[in-house]
Parts: sequence; structure tokens; C-alpha cells
Amino acid sequence: MERLQENLPLELVLSKLTAGIIDYGAGNLASLMICLKQLGYAVKVSDDFNVLNSVDIIFIPGVGAYPAAMKALHQKGLVSYLREQARLQRPIIGICLGMQLLASASHEFEYTTGLDIIPGEIISMGPSKWHIGWNTVETKASEMALMSSNGGIFYFNHSYRYEGPTKYQVGLSQCPNTIATIIRKNKVVGLQFHPEKSQLAGRILLKNLILELVSNA
Amino acid sequence: MLKKRIIGVITVRNGLAVQSFGYQKYLPIGKPECLVENFDRWGADEILIQVIDRSPNLLGPDFELMEKLGKLGIQTPLIYSGGIRSVDDGVRLVQLGSDRIAIDALLHDNLPEVTSLSKILGAQAIIASMPISLVRGLPMWFDYRSKNLKKISIDVIGLIESDVISELVVTDWIHEGMTVGYDQGLVEIFELKKTAIIAFGGISTPKQMKSLLQNRKVSAIAVGNFLSYKEHALQVFKEALGGMPIRGPVYQSSISELVD
Repeated sequence: MERLQENLPLELVLSKLTAGIIDYGAGNLASLMICLKQLGYAVKVSDDFNVLNSVDIIFIPGVGAYPAAMKALHQKGLVSYLREQARLQRPIIGICLGMQLLASASHEFEYTTGLDIIPGEIISMGPSKWHIGWNTVETKASEMALMSSNGGIFYFNHSYRYEGPTKYQVGLSQCPNTIATIIRKNKVVGLQFHPEKSQLAGRILLKNLILELVSNA
Repeated sequence: MLKKRIIGVITVRNGLAVQSFGYQKYLPIGKPECLVENFDRWGADEILIQVIDRSPNLLGPDFELMEKLGKLGIQTPLIYSGGIRSVDDGVRLVQLGSDRIAIDALLHDNLPEVTSLSKILGAQAIIASMPISLVRGLPMWFDYRSKNLKKISIDVIGLIESDVISELVVTDWIHEGMTVGYDQGLVEIFELKKTAIIAFGGISTPKQMKSLLQNRKVSAIAVGNFLSYKEHALQVFKEALGGMPIRGPVYQSSISELVD
């Protein structure tokens, strides 16, 4: 079992941490893998439950369309696995489409049931159509790990957005209306932007968020 | 609010990054990966790699180059353009590390395939790229393979406005690489309701940049040759663009900033 032991000194947490990236055939895994390695973590890319059970934090990446991504997760048996890991309070971070998959359902192309880990639905951006480029994220004051990223500028590339209870919305952006760009329920966090492509701002956010999620695991 | 972007453009020919002048003269400047690393370090908002000898020679995308770039671990979004023929090409490029792809020759050859690409990768990942010039006030579309000009068909305009692509690169190919500046008439002729324009070609001074960035139709400007003439050119341009709705200059992109 390689997962972190309790009561490790903080400076050892980073060096011993292993991040797992779920491989379900969706998009560019290399960027996230290299980013996490640059932050000092060991990284495993896998769809094998045994491998994913051994990591300290699970990442759900994603580029592409919602229905195809959910289909791939179902085919690999990862839907029930991820729901169970969330119930067990294991740290999970979903990125871009990976964040949207955490929600209950999506209206992209057709109505598709999601992982249903964070209540809410994924709907069209509406008249603004796209959210492409760099935008500011305002974080909730209660989110200590995100405090140093409040007002930070991150890279977005999506055309659907999260709509759900405000209690799960911990980061907001203007596009031009207010949209949720970070969502959270317990140990599960969704980031609508790409921290791995957001230069220093993205890495600072990831580092602090991972540390908080795993140190309280 | 969403910022407008400055995109660093790297033109690749015969495996080398080149300075390109009016789509007809090329000066080699080095390895593409070195320029990518520079633009990443200088805080470009996106980096566009356009490999210009793939489609004319029916070579398909330069997967080898994309794989090399994907392994650099850069922190800036990458757009790949050049030789894309099919959905499989687009998917493979994304898997190798491209965040978005730009389509040029495929717009001439196979519009249904562009639509299929969009369904798989999402329209936000698809950019249309069109070299345009004004002839007697009319927009003419340049096919860089045959070197011919043609009218833009209703089908192509329909596709651009149909949520299949997210942005349109309008290239002033005649002024590309030259200091005379981008012909803003090219932006004005497009009355697009849904699709924002990325302006590229001959954008060389902060004054030209400001003028384009103030245009509501323009979401980004793309700059190629003029980022290669001096170190940290991106930060210098961004400094000079104070007051514009852009992300400010970035001076700390080093991972060492994260070490406690």
C-alpha cells in the first residue's frame, strides 16, 4: 500500500505522494502527467482499480464530448468505482470535462447521466457560446487551500458549464455572467479550467489543493 | 472577465522554425522546440505551431514534432496546424499534446470531416484558419497549395457560423511578416455573429495591436516573426499594451517559484 501514512511531516507529504490519472481514452494525459511530475509527485496513469487504489489522489482529466467520455467510463467499470471512492472520502480532482463528469448529468448533445458525485447539471454556456482563453477566478473565503489563488488568472477552453447548488460552487468567474469554475463536495473538487496549462498560477493552485486534500485524508 | 489573447506563432518548414514573409519567402531561425520553450517562458497566452509544408506535400500532420513538443512539459496551451486530413489525425494530435487544432486545407477539401472532428473533440478545440486578401473590396481566400485565390463559398461561411468551430484565424497573408501592419479591413468584412476572429499577419507594433484588440470582433492577435527579433518580446509588447483587456506580462513561470 503506497498511500500516504497519517502524521507524516508536511515536507515529506509532497515527496512521497503518488497521483493517479484515470486513463479512459480522453484527450491529452501527457500535459497533466508532466505537470504533476514537475510538482514533485510520482504519477501513475491507469484504468486498473488496483493501481488506482494505491495512489493518494485521483485525477479525472478530459477533453472532448460528455457522452463519449461517460460511455468510456462505463465500459471500463470506472463509474461505480469513482462513486465508491468519493463515498470513501478519497481525494479526487476533475479537470475541465473531468469536472463536468462529476456532476449529475449533462445536456451536451443529448441528456447523459454523469458520475453524480456533485449534485448539479452541465448546460450550454448560452449566448456567449464559448469560454476560451484566460479568465480570473474568485474563490470562496472558506476555501483555505484556494486562498492564494483568489483573483488568479487561468486558462479555460469549454462551451458547457456547471449549474447547481451554490454550496458546491467554491470558485466563480465572469463570462460575462457569473459561472461556477471550481466546484467541491467534501474531498472531490472540479476545476473547469486547465491548471496544467495555466503556467505558474495553475501550478500554485494545484500544489496547495493537492496538499490540503491529501493531508486531511 | 475573459481576457483577449496574444498568441505566439511558430511557422515550421522542412522541420525548422522559419520566419515567413508573404507566404513566399522563408528564413530558417532554429528548432521549433526552442521557440516553443521561449514563448512558454515568456508567458504567451497560447502558442500556434503551423507546419506549412505538410498539406502541399500530402504528408499528413507532423506527429513526430507534436510528440516532441508534448514531452517538453510546457505550461502554455498549444494549437497545432498543418496537414490535418481526418478525425483520426485530430484525435492523435490531441493525445500527443495539442490542446486545440487549426484547420486550413481541410476547409477547402472536406467540410463534413471538419464537422466530424468537432463532434469528437468539441468545437472549442477546432479553429478555422483562412488566408484572406481584399481584391477590389471583396474578400478572396488564398489556397496556399495552388497559390490561387477564390471566393469564400456559402458552405464555408455556414460552417464557420454553425458551432462547428470556435474561432477563425483571419490571416493577412500579403502582409505576413512585414512591418506595414495588418489590414483591418479583413476583420471588418466578416459579419460573424457567433465566431470570434484571431487576427494574424504583419502585426508588429503596440499601436497595431491596440487597434485590433479594441475591435469587438477580435478575441486574439497572433504574432510570429516579430517575437523572434528580441528576447522577451512578448513581455515587452504586453507592457506596452497597458489598459488593454489582456493578461499582463508574466515574468515568473519557473517551477522554482513553487519550492518552499
